[in-house]
Amino acid sequence: MEVNKLPDSTSNFTKANCFNKWLIGGPPFLFLLIFFAAPSLIMFFTSFRFPGEFGGLAPISPAMDGSSAEYGLTLETYEFLFSDILYAEIFLKTFAIAAVTTLICLIMAYPLALLIARSQKRFRNLMIMLVILPFASNFLIRIYAWMIILGPESVLSHFVNAILGVFGFAPVTLLFSTFAVLIGMVYVHLPFMILPLYTNLEKHDPVLLDAAQDLGANRWQRFWLITWPQSLPGVFAGAALVFIPVLGMFAVPDILGGTGDILIGNLIKDQFLGTRDWPFGSTLSIILTLLVLLIAWLATWLARPSVRQNS
Amino acid sequence: MSRNNIALWAMAGLVYSFLYIPLIIVVVYSFNDSKLNAEWVGFTFSWYRTLFHNEEMLTAARNSLFIAISASFLATTLGTMAGLAIHRCKLKVLPMLAFTPVAMPEILLGVSLLLFFLQVLNMTLGLFSIIIAHTIFCIGFVTIIVRARLQGMDESIFEAARDLGATPWQTFHQITLPLIKPAVIAGALMSFTLSIDDFVITFFTKGVGEPILPIQIYTMIKVAVTPEVNAISTLLMLLTLILIIIANKFDTRMLPGDSEK
Amino acid sequence: MNTRHFYVFARTVISISLILFVLSCNRQQNHDSPVFQQKRNTLFLFNWNNYIAPETIKRFEAFCNCRIAQDYYSDNEEMLAKLAAGATGYDVIVPTGNAVDTLIRQNVLKPLDQSLLPNFKNINPIYLNTEFDPANKYSVPYAFTITLLGSNYEKLQALGLPTDTWALIFEPEYLEKIKGRVTVLDSQRELMAAALRYLGHSINDNNEENWQQAKNLIIRAKPYWAAFSNTSYIRELAVGNLWVAHGYSNDLYQAALDAKNTGRNFTIVYSIPQEGAVLALDSMVLHRSGSHPDLAHQFINFMLEGKNSAELTNLIGSGNPNIEALQFIQPELTQNNAVFPDKASLDHLEMLHELDHKQRRLLSRLWTEVKLR
Repeated sequence: MEVNKLPDSTSNFTKANCFNKWLIGGPPFLFLLIFFAAPSLIMFFTSFRFPGEFGGLAPISPAMDGSSAEYGLTLETYEFLFSDILYAEIFLKTFAIAAVTTLICLIMAYPLALLIARSQKRFRNLMIMLVILPFASNFLIRIYAWMIILGPESVLSHFVNAILGVFGFAPVTLLFSTFAVLIGMVYVHLPFMILPLYTNLEKHDPVLLDAAQDLGANRWQRFWLITWPQSLPGVFAGAALVFIPVLGMFAVPDILGGTGDILIGNLIKDQFLGTRDWPFGSTLSIILTLLVLLIAWLATWLARPSVRQNS
Repeated sequence: MSRNNIALWAMAGLVYSFLYIPLIIVVVYSFNDSKLNAEWVGFTFSWYRTLFHNEEMLTAARNSLFIAISASFLATTLGTMAGLAIHRCKLKVLPMLAFTPVAMPEILLGVSLLLFFLQVLNMTLGLFSIIIAHTIFCIGFVTIIVRARLQGMDESIFEAARDLGATPWQTFHQITLPLIKPAVIAGALMSFTLSIDDFVITFFTKGVGEPILPIQIYTMIKVAVTPEVNAISTLLMLLTLILIIIANKFDTRMLPGDSEK
Repeated sequence: MNTRHFYVFARTVISISLILFVLSCNRQQNHDSPVFQQKRNTLFLFNWNNYIAPETIKRFEAFCNCRIAQDYYSDNEEMLAKLAAGATGYDVIVPTGNAVDTLIRQNVLKPLDQSLLPNFKNINPIYLNTEFDPANKYSVPYAFTITLLGSNYEKLQALGLPTDTWALIFEPEYLEKIKGRVTVLDSQRELMAAALRYLGHSINDNNEENWQQAKNLIIRAKPYWAAFSNTSYIRELAVGNLWVAHGYSNDLYQAALDAKNTGRNFTIVYSIPQEGAVLALDSMVLHRSGSHPDLAHQFINFMLEGKNSAELTNLIGSGNPNIEALQFIQPELTQNNAVFPDKASLDHLEMLHELDHKQRRLLSRLWTEVKLR
């Protein structure tokens, strides 16, 4: 495979460090090749097959008894997906939800990560542990807890509606809405933004900030000119770890969402656990994965200048 | 400086309360003397007592902990290696392999692994198959965070080490590992929570009659989140806390936040 | 410092290995671990969540000197998906009628040996010889539920609304008064069935035009619904947050019971809509891959005993096709027409049939439209 390609010989550094690339890259490569690439290949072919009459897949070769069941490979499923604007709409909606979730997570996580990174060393452990601890409980339990918080008779609901009432707005229901879905999504994915940000911010050298202060830079200038550009790798990593999993999520919209909150995750889940249409489920997943890889590639490409700036 | 800090603290406090308010509900309601758990009825320990007599639940909890620790250990090791390899060697295929599982809908991963385990490898499903499945999607998380840590790092330190005659292994465990340790630990923590939470992939890759916690809990909350479910969640958090503290005591340098500059 | 880091690394590895070792040792010593011991004498049951009384399990385990290991699903499709991918090892499964049909046609069930099931005679003949499994070659009726409407009686009285018609969830004129206080099941088949029935068609009607009509009916009513909900409606109805819910008879029984036991100032009622509804009959079947056929037959026969069968009904409020069980069931259940329908109501009930894959894809397409619009 392509991994074997020799590193650029002009880069002394890369070459010298890479003689043992099989030593460090080999085990994960092999593991993923066997346990991820091979099964994924099965699903890739699945997307070109016919769904079985009673679930599963139709056979590749014609049935022995000459029954009229479909067999072989087909592009029908892709046609079905691309000929219908409905599915494009769901993709668009899902990406919008994922983008908003990522943004909210970033806004919430950054100050916290910064604070932890700048705290005394002995407090950092504790603070990071406090971030991760709620996530050792069960996923569904946490989501159900939000059902209680957002419920129509909850303190929060009464509070929000009281405020809205003062300004003359009609009362709103918090639960079973896109708002509830966003809250749930942010809640579930927040640590995946905090941790990468923290691991990045933690390595920043405070000397730079002091130097900038001596040169007369104010707080905001110091942040935007020094901390923010340096933290971009962390921001990108966090964004990836929030944005991508949100795309495939179905439990949060299922439980907290209203009647219109369907995302690709729900659609894909339905194909496997509802309609028994594995080929369509695989096709949707493949398109989703390709879109994500495309975005990831774009992001790396965009991030490149900032990385160069740093080194 | 101090005004800055107050603003930061205030925002951090808000985020912490956001993280903990649902949790307080979970813990408080685990002592509620009402099965439907709709409102506060009275304080009781009885749910914990029921729990300790529920063999299936205890086995499930033990299985899940075993899976989560094994999978996060495997994923952290492999993911760190992948992160290093990708950063250093500008590989093309490995990043794809490592990142795609994160992007792939878990239901697809679950079905494809089940097909693969049963029809290609012909293996018996059990804890082992779940550990492998969890490891696959955790690797990507670890790789991404390790790589982000390495990005923009001063490379001259590695060159210096080599110039001083350090072997690659020495360079790794004396310089690289301490430098990326916060990311490695963060990756391990993420993997642990991902694994202990996962329902879909576990449902597909689990063996017959093997109780696993997320699935056990899922079956219990059909009618309502009963206090017993809250109790097991509370215990799980407590246990995780204890594990982390033990790990911390055992090795005071194990947690993030002590990288060398 | 350098060597110290190496030790740190080594200690980490050793400590994790130790924890794992302790956990795994524990597993092996535990007599309850199904993998290492007693595998030969364990019945593997693939069952719905919460669909067998714990005391029944205990009694059977004592009776056969064996263990029951259960796996659970909350939807037939979950079970079918796992089996379709090749999962094996299950002795007894408890699918609903149309899923029994699927499994028979997939040729993955083992025929029953009637001679090992003397208690089979306890089953009410009305529930035998279904179109899925004529002569009950593969399946033994276990329990049933009806999909109907549950409502907050006092609230609907005050609003002057009926409680026994699908119009309650489909007609804007009614829905206006209960906007945002209604949920319907998150199930393509169930909701379509209700809509088709309301429009005067059979629940198994698969004429595309009628499907489109039903879809339009659903889309028209959707803005008034709070959510699609398969489980959370039970609690929400019981605490008074919801006033009308499309749900299963056994779940609505739970909601009504909870509302009563906690002494709320309203009652939850549920009844079969006059237009008719879906009957879901769950049956015990033997999977091909099961390696304990004798034990499986023993289990089925045990579950057919009146007392054992009644325990489930008393626990969750499901319908029971077992005549011998009736004497052990709480009278408020047997007298409830929405749990134990009389002959006249039964004529209004239908069981869902399987759809072929083209119909399934079309239905899924309509469903996506329903969700998105």
